[in-house]
Amino acid sequence: MAAQATAEDRLSVIFGALADPTRRAILARLADGDATVTQLTEPFSISMPAISRHLKVLERAGLISRSRSGQWLSSTLEAAPLKEATDWMEQYRRYWDENFDRLDAHLRRIQAKPPRDGGQTTERTGQ
Amino acid sequence: MTQAADTTYLEISRIFDAPRELVYRAFVDPDQLSEWFGPAGFSVPRESVDIDARVGGRKRFVMAKDENPADGHEINATFTEVIENEVLDSEGFVGTEGLRLQLRIELYDEPGGKTRLELRQGPYTPEFKTDAARGWESSFTKLDALLKLA
Repeated sequence: MAAQATAEDRLSVIFGALADPTRRAILARLADGDATVTQLTEPFSISMPAISRHLKVLERAGLISRSRSGQWLSSTLEAAPLKEATDWMEQYRRYWDENFDRLDAHLRRIQAKPPRDGGQTTERTGQ
Repeated sequence: MTQAADTTYLEISRIFDAPRELVYRAFVDPDQLSEWFGPAGFSVPRESVDIDARVGGRKRFVMAKDENPADGHEINATFTEVIENEVLDSEGFVGTEGLRLQLRIELYDEPGGKTRLELRQGPYTPEFKTDAARGWESSFTKLDALLKLA
């Protein structure tokens, strides 16, 4: 399906952008508010051109947008693509949550303890 | 820990009302693993489970769909760090497509004879976004449907 393939490609670009620790740090900084390249360069021990390159990657992934305020180019965090990426990860979280629900039940069974959460005790009268 | 901010790793923390030794056994004892492992709609056939919990040892099993047991995912991993009742770290492949994932499980004592389990799995990188990952997504979609029926 074309629509799905596009979504997959976009996710690949997003994950590619997120795969770098400096870019994640930039996003974390932008979560506190918009910043110019100069402001972003300060906390990192890398050059302004290097920061600019990182910003281009983030912009291409749609993770930030850049706009001119006065004579400075300011970067803004864009939350939607980040959410798309985390939603994808959430499926795996759900997988483990379900697994662990079953592990929880299994551990109760082998310890033969009554359920701790109230209201379900009647289910066990037959055992 | 710089890796804590790594969004390509899934991290889950959960407390179980059982001592550490019991939680650990549930992961390394094939009889037990086949009893509980797998999300709703899946089960792990006992005969598919092979676990040798030591560094370099294998961990293999099949997660078969209840609807169609021939359709499932094979987990094929190797233990990279094992500390009895504390740590199970493995690197393995999901399915035959060669998706490589690290899975680390750490167990900690909690008051009242409980155990905190810390899971870390990844990296969920762009290369992971393949047909097989799509296969996973479709099984989650089916899972959603099952859950709605329940």
